[in-house]
Amino acid sequence: MMGYEDLVATTFMLPLLGAAIAFCAKLVGKERKIAKVCEYGGACIGLVAPIVVLVQLLPGMLDGQVITGIIGGWSGTVGITFRFDGLAWLIDLLGYTIALAAYIYSLSSGPKGPSFTGIFLIQSAALAATIMTNDLFNLFVCLEVLGITSYVLIPTSGKPGASLAAFSYLMVSATAMVFFLVGTYGLYRITGSLSYAGIAGGLATMDPEAYGVAVMSLSVLVAAVAIRVAVMPLYGWLPDAHALAPHAISAVLSGVLIKTPLFALSRVLVLFPIGGRVGYLMGLAGGITAFLGVVLALSQSDAKRLLAYHSISQIGYVVAAWGMAAHMGIHTPEGAALMVAAYLHALFHALFKGLLFFSIGTTTDVTKVRDVLASRNSIASLRSAGERLPITFVTFLAGALSITAIPPFNGFVSKYLVGSSLKGSLVSFLLIAAGVGTVASFIKLSRIYWPMKHTFPQSVEKITFLPRHLAQLLLASLCIATGIWAPWIIGIVGKLLGGVSRLDGFSPYSPDNLIKTGSTVVGGILLFLLMGRPWVSDILHRIRDRRMDFKGLFVSFSLGTAAMALWLWV
Amino acid sequence: MKARIDFRSILALVAILAVLLPILATDTPWPTEPRDYLAEHAEDETGAKNIVSAIYLGYRVFDTMGETIVLLVAVLGTIGILTKVESLVGDTQQTIGIVSAFSLSAEKRRSNRLRTHLLEVVTGKVGPIVLLFGFYVMLYGHLSPGGGFQGGVIIASGIVFLALGNQRGETSHLSNSEKLVHIETIAFLLLVIVSSSGLITGSPFFGNPLDHTAVPVGYIVVLNAVIGLKVGTSMGFLCIAMMGGTD
Amino acid sequence: MVDRLLLLILFLIGFLTIVAKRNMIKKIFGLNIINAAVVILFVLEGSRIGMDAPISNGEPQQFVDPLPQALMLTAIVIGVCITALSLALAVHLYRIGGTFDIDKVKERLHDGL
Repeated sequence: MMGYEDLVATTFMLPLLGAAIAFCAKLVGKERKIAKVCEYGGACIGLVAPIVVLVQLLPGMLDGQVITGIIGGWSGTVGITFRFDGLAWLIDLLGYTIALAAYIYSLSSGPKGPSFTGIFLIQSAALAATIMTNDLFNLFVCLEVLGITSYVLIPTSGKPGASLAAFSYLMVSATAMVFFLVGTYGLYRITGSLSYAGIAGGLATMDPEAYGVAVMSLSVLVAAVAIRVAVMPLYGWLPDAHALAPHAISAVLSGVLIKTPLFALSRVLVLFPIGGRVGYLMGLAGGITAFLGVVLALSQSDAKRLLAYHSISQIGYVVAAWGMAAHMGIHTPEGAALMVAAYLHALFHALFKGLLFFSIGTTTDVTKVRDVLASRNSIASLRSAGERLPITFVTFLAGALSITAIPPFNGFVSKYLVGSSLKGSLVSFLLIAAGVGTVASFIKLSRIYWPMKHTFPQSVEKITFLPRHLAQLLLASLCIATGIWAPWIIGIVGKLLGGVSRLDGFSPYSPDNLIKTGSTVVGGILLFLLMGRPWVSDILHRIRDRRMDFKGLFVSFSLGTAAMALWLWV
Repeated sequence: MKARIDFRSILALVAILAVLLPILATDTPWPTEPRDYLAEHAEDETGAKNIVSAIYLGYRVFDTMGETIVLLVAVLGTIGILTKVESLVGDTQQTIGIVSAFSLSAEKRRSNRLRTHLLEVVTGKVGPIVLLFGFYVMLYGHLSPGGGFQGGVIIASGIVFLALGNQRGETSHLSNSEKLVHIETIAFLLLVIVSSSGLITGSPFFGNPLDHTAVPVGYIVVLNAVIGLKVGTSMGFLCIAMMGGTD
Repeated sequence: MVDRLLLLILFLIGFLTIVAKRNMIKKIFGLNIINAAVVILFVLEGSRIGMDAPISNGEPQQFVDPLPQALMLTAIVIGVCITALSLALAVHLYRIGGTFDIDKVKERLHDGL
């Protein structure tokens, strides 16, 4: 009945159908039961059914099957080509898992309503379409859909700063997309095609005089995508946007939306002769991002901002591994190993960052205090708000242990993979330093749970715990499970990404690595104690107060584009 | 507040100039392969005489779906943001109706000086004509310049004219916001269903289900109509909400 | 060539408006200007290869490249949607902060938070 091409198209059509059904809930009154049926039915069709489809597609993917074609079956000269391979399967899995967990969480924390459900499902559909597309203009449209759903969902938290964050994000992202169009113009002019394969073919046979145009167009495309990924120096919009959005949306933004454009870009770069050089510069930028992100995170006092800066740091890890993978070539053994490491860190980060956003979100919703320096004794507050077992603290602990790379949690495995694949280069030193900082800042964040000697009554807000606990426990168990069964997962991911079924030298539990982990933790504890000193906290205060203003977003974008262009030109 | 054209702005400008100049200054001849292919095959494969319609409703209909979704989300977001008001200064919640210039409800109408007799006469007479023209542009998109989006925007302006009312103070049912939202929601559902309808006859998603029948162009006409309705009602709803009246 | 340089100047004016002007509404103007510049660029350059409108009438003809026109339809609609949303956000920020100046709104939000 349905060919394989149609089955993969359902990965993005099902959420759209779900969204259309969820919107139908607006046709009837809010109180009527059929409205709820429409809304939740739409959500099931849009979030659960695609996971079923993915399970169906898995056996074929493991065999190395790649499904390509033209959407609609039209001709290749003008039509939209797509490519569904292991990478698309993995990103879809990542996207739908986090989206499902975030939707369950939002059933309690808000925002709620058929419009929210519909827009949330549209965002998931756009994620699936972005990673599947093989057409430059279709990538533009998909990125715009991702963007506009973010601009609309961020202000729904009701915090006044969220609107400003959404405005800044909108302006810089929309401008970047116009630059993307200019890049599309350049590449279309040289090659006469919009599909990746057509462009690659055209570039191979192009007039040597047009090389400058190709380089400039590529650098503009990369910069426009890099803004979505928030590497240095293009990170300025992320802290406000992720910190002030509703908790469920923060999880999806941090977990999925900053990674999918990166992996979609790898489809473009793989076909360009100079794609490898782009990868090298991005890899360096990734290492710097990982380190600077932690430094900025250490200085923050707002809990969600701290998590947002950590997202920047962790995406630095992913970009570093990804960049070096592109540099070495995805089809070489080292390149494939690096790509596996990049994807695994992206997946595990989405799991534990989502978990952290949910746990911190629950805690701050109850205590109404977001300042890490001021909040204490949250376990007791949570208990008095109605949580009988300290589940939120346990899930926070799971997330914190994951991000600080403690065994047997998943962060331990993925950071080991990234570190060992990059061993010896400058980037790996930056990553080690970032690891120390991560430990320190999570000790700082966990302070909100420490019991206090004199407890005075704090006003707590009573909230519904069940959906939140469900989502938190789901992600926490996934964090532990993916950590314990890591070798098996690595095998699957390796097969899907490049036919590598075993990674040589994979030994995260070797004495060498355990000593390294231990010394990172000790270093982190020392750093945390050092942060209490007045002169250190003075420096941290100064760092915190230097925020990037609106103009800075554009200056950094321009300089980043020019730097990439210069790097490729020379 | 004056613009501050300081060092950073000039730096950004120069950087962008350096990157964009090669792209815009290139004299590589514009490629002719897509045009040649379309000149030969577009009418046979899609049935539409208007080649641009054939592209965005046939070959690249997926982009059009994405664009419609952007419109849908933008309208939802704009209405959502405009109707919730907070202020650091401490005001209580205000609804958008108080801060607008044109009020649509008949009771407040006579007192608003910006509504003139000229306006009422013109909108009353022209409204239905503009609506008719919008339907024409929408449905003839496959034969002459036009199509779903163009027609939809004209329909939206027709709805705005109708909403502004006429001399007798009547408002048409079409300017009732709830009805507009209903039509829009159903139109979106129809769009998803119509684009998937290819599955029934064996074409893939977004393929033409009427491909091997006598009128392949019927698919394009239906798509034009659905998109036009969706765009028209959502933009009409947006304009009416911005004007301040949602009776 | 001259028209492309003029479009480049238009683009740079729009970009400078977004970056340097402090009024949020003027920044949105700038976004519209750069959108317009890119749309005109595509359509203008696509029109170089022919003379007729891309409407087939049975006989072989050299019409303009229809692909950029179809792409720009999408780009224009997306630009309009972004403008509407950004204007709504700007009005919302005006109600919160009392001014359209983005730096002042940022300060007031940080003080108020």
